[in-house]
Amino acid sequence: MQNKQELKSISVFVSLEKIESNLSEIGFSINGTTTIVADGKFWKKMLYIRGNERISISEEIGDAYPKDPIITICASKNTISKVIDGVKKTNAALRM
Amino acid sequence: MPLYECNEHQFVENIRRLIETSEKFLVNRRIIMYDDAKYGPSTLPEEEFRRYATICIRKSLKSTVFSKIPFIDEFHGRIYEKCESLHGSSNLLFPRMSIPYYKVEYSINVWGGTYFFTFDALFEPEIVIEKRSGKRLGRGTLIHVLKYNPPEERILSISLPTNVMVFDVKNMIRVIDYSLRF
Repeated sequence: MQNKQELKSISVFVSLEKIESNLSEIGFSINGTTTIVADGKFWKKMLYIRGNERISISEEIGDAYPKDPIITICASKNTISKVIDGVKKTNAALRM
Repeated sequence: MPLYECNEHQFVENIRRLIETSEKFLVNRRIIMYDDAKYGPSTLPEEEFRRYATICIRKSLKSTVFSKIPFIDEFHGRIYEKCESLHGSSNLLFPRMSIPYYKVEYSINVWGGTYFFTFDALFEPEIVIEKRSGKRLGRGTLIHVLKYNPPEERILSISLPTNVMVFDVKNMIRVIDYSLRF
């Protein structure tokens, strides 16, 4: 039986590499990337998939500082908790 | 009906709140392709411009872009010679090189207001060497070809739970609801 999917979006001051490493640890793999323009800025949008669970990360392209990628999670409650915990461990400066 | 613009984070979180309150709602999505010269290589950030570096060169961001080698822009059916001016952030009479894109709009209508999130997804450049023939090229000449591949729908989509219904629409026409006037 599939777990009920929930939705969560977080904006974090954590580097993309650390987020990717965290996602890889819990079994997500990259499924595609594209370049988007939103709010007058260029963003790299990446999609990660594990089974029917999907996580997308949008990170601003360029020298913007500080970078705060937007993580959108559509997954089970357990997976959402794992992603948020991973981010919290990496950096205490989490904005939710 | 007021329109409220959201960024991705706000839009997704608003949907999450609606799901949690069991409020019934519908997400509308509109995806339309544009090629109106809104985007070109001159205004791309360095990281993105590097994807075009085989065929063109520029001094810095927003400076004029020139072709390094002759190439064909397959999407627009144009041939460029070496050292041709391709794009500049200042007004070129005809912005020659442009990047097509999808305009993606998501919206939800709740309690008489429309909340929307919109973004443009650029087509992916692919540069290959191919044999082409033509008046200007001669017969079976090897030349660089710039192709634009549309981004896949699964990447354009906002990941939403399966119980959230998404309707694709062609256009949204705003109407005045006179019943709300007292």
